[in-house]
Amino acid sequence: MTTSVGTEGQMGGQPLGQQAEFLAEKMAEVRREISKAIVGQLEVVDGVLIALLAGGHVLLEGAPGLGKTMLVRTLAQAVALKYSRIQFTPDLMPADVIGTSVVQENGDGRKSLGFQPGPIFTNLLLADEINRATPKTQSALLEAMQEKQVTVAHTSHLLEEPFFVMATQNPLEMEGTYPLPEAQLDRFLFKLRVPYPGREDLHDILDRTTQGSAATVLPVVNGPQILEMRTVVRSVPVAPHVQEHVVKLTLATHPENRDNLLASKYIRYGSSPRGAQTLILGGKVRALLDGRYNVSLEDIQALMLPALRHRIILNFEAQADGRTPDDLLEEIAGKICAK
Amino acid sequence: MWLLVALIVVASVSVKLAGALVFIAVVAAIGAAGILALTWRNRPSSYETARRLDSAVGLRDRTSTAIYFGGIEKPEGLLGEQRKDALARFAKVDVRGLFPLQMPGNFKRAFALFLVAGGLFAYRIHHQPPLISLLQSTARSQLVQSILSPIAHAMEKDLQRTIALVTMKPDAVGDETQRADSASNTEDLWKADENKSPDADAPKDPADAAEGDQQQDQMQAPGSQDGNPSDARQQDSYSQSQDGKNGNDSSSDKSMEQSEQQGPEGRQSLGQSLMQALKNMMSNSPNQQSNNRAGQQPPNGQGTPQSGNSQQPGDNESDKRGDSRGNSDTKQKANQTASEGAGSQQGTKELSKDQQTHPVNAVPDRVALEASGFKEQTRMKIATETGTAQLGTGDVSPRQDAVTNGAEQENIPARYRFYVQRYFEHADNGKQ
Repeated sequence: MTTSVGTEGQMGGQPLGQQAEFLAEKMAEVRREISKAIVGQLEVVDGVLIALLAGGHVLLEGAPGLGKTMLVRTLAQAVALKYSRIQFTPDLMPADVIGTSVVQENGDGRKSLGFQPGPIFTNLLLADEINRATPKTQSALLEAMQEKQVTVAHTSHLLEEPFFVMATQNPLEMEGTYPLPEAQLDRFLFKLRVPYPGREDLHDILDRTTQGSAATVLPVVNGPQILEMRTVVRSVPVAPHVQEHVVKLTLATHPENRDNLLASKYIRYGSSPRGAQTLILGGKVRALLDGRYNVSLEDIQALMLPALRHRIILNFEAQADGRTPDDLLEEIAGKICAK
Repeated sequence: MWLLVALIVVASVSVKLAGALVFIAVVAAIGAAGILALTWRNRPSSYETARRLDSAVGLRDRTSTAIYFGGIEKPEGLLGEQRKDALARFAKVDVRGLFPLQMPGNFKRAFALFLVAGGLFAYRIHHQPPLISLLQSTARSQLVQSILSPIAHAMEKDLQRTIALVTMKPDAVGDETQRADSASNTEDLWKADENKSPDADAPKDPADAAEGDQQQDQMQAPGSQDGNPSDARQQDSYSQSQDGKNGNDSSSDKSMEQSEQQGPEGRQSLGQSLMQALKNMMSNSPNQQSNNRAGQQPPNGQGTPQSGNSQQPGDNESDKRGDSRGNSDTKQKANQTASEGAGSQQGTKELSKDQQTHPVNAVPDRVALEASGFKEQTRMKIATETGTAQLGTGDVSPRQDAVTNGAEQENIPARYRFYVQRYFEHADNGKQ
């Protein structure tokens, strides 16, 4: 086990305990490397790392200029993964994302149709301003995000693991945008809100970006190690009462649940089972990052908002009353904990 | 707390402490056993205890997870690591901080009660219960004696009166009512009860009632003139065992004997009998009070009701005279004997001057008139005209209207008449 920066170190064949320790140490190093380029945003960074180890995708939402693209690029450098970026625009076509078949000429001069992979064939994909693309293009990501493959001309092409999509969207620009459909939103493990930096963080940003040269981010882990980490994550035990809490929380978001008047009043669609899976998986990763080998209720509470806020669809009454998914979820969780 | 309160009460009141102490000890033992059983039954499981421990210490569900997966002998994956981590974290927990010894909220009150109970028991080693001693000393005080003695005296009288009413049989009451109806006034009512022979049936028609009244008046005259209880007993064979009792007792006993001879025909319901007995008692109660005021005269079997009623018109003077009551009764009886019969207003008109100056005092006389000649159920029918009262019966004919001055008193229930009479009595005294 090594503590130095670099992708060296073995996980396979070692006991799970050591692999868990290795994971925690490596992720701590990744944090440090990311912090060289990203000031603050610790929750966002942790959320991104948790999603990476849980095998999910992240939707980042924030105003322009808050470092969303910088974060993804820095993460790609720190984990030594292939990185590609797609700037979503209204005229972007699905073939521009997943690739298309083109006429290719062999060495002997014969021509044939060959598949030209799109930018989606990468390990770490940044879908910048994803809500600017048309739903047709947005839906091109559905199969890739869930099945880790794309189908072109009746031919399925597997994506290379780990495949990790980080999409960004600007909540302010409503003109010329296409809100993501619920089906696609549900495929994102977390929806992270990128906040404005604080006073200290802003000073630090100014110091780093206006003086000297940009910091160099070194790779800490590689793709195979990340895949092994994902295996370790799934072996973390979960106590029954923690799982019961997750189930209660998920069911409490359903408007059909008459026991919860809040959900029936303001929520049109509740969380899918993917929400519960996200809470458990994210809790496991968070526990390992915290040096624990079990999921606690605190992990669930900490991950509740990023895991569920994009999985509940509010009705018109909630919008009229100015309710947001975050405050509804906080209220629901408070009632469950009070019981 | 409650046990200590019970101990204090026992030590303060109970003369013998042993039984009470044993009882309290048994109750305490049963309560403790019940609490222990309930606690044992509702005890949390080890997993639940671990959950509470985690939340209390901040172990982040380490202990509960380890406890839940503790049944696995050969833990795989991260279970072993998790168990080691939980044990290592739990070893660092300050157990004394988990279970801080703290006094219960009501400790001070319980301790104060314990001191009081201990002091009381120490006091009881050589002394009587303090509360009983205090009550005894208070009861011996002159102030309490002066307050309680009249009350006790009145209660004793009421008790005797109640016993007399309860021991009175319904048959006797019915016959008594029948005879009372045949009397021309309250005095005659009691005289008729005491002098009437057991063979004589109550008159069922107005003629019989009038004859009965005349006979009773004639028979009553010697006794009333004498005013001597012993003479009255000799004349009346039905007042044999009335020594030391009042007129109600004697009449009731005689009525019982009469009812036994008459058989079940003349029986009435108990409620009606009690009603009539109350009416009689109310009409008789002034006699008792006047007797008490007259200087603690010994009660007699026949003379008391007579003298009481006869005194009502001239109450003040007769109270002073005392022994002359029999003479006034004699005069009144003589006047009434000359009248036509029951319910006649003539007898009232022929009262003495004392009586005429107090017309309100004729109310008891009208009570007797109202009841005359009835055998069955007696009900008061109140006419809509002011000052008119009627008595209705099922089979009796002499329906007499009692229309006199102040006749609105007829609408007053029988149980209030005494008080109304007393009121007018005071008014008359004020006029005088």
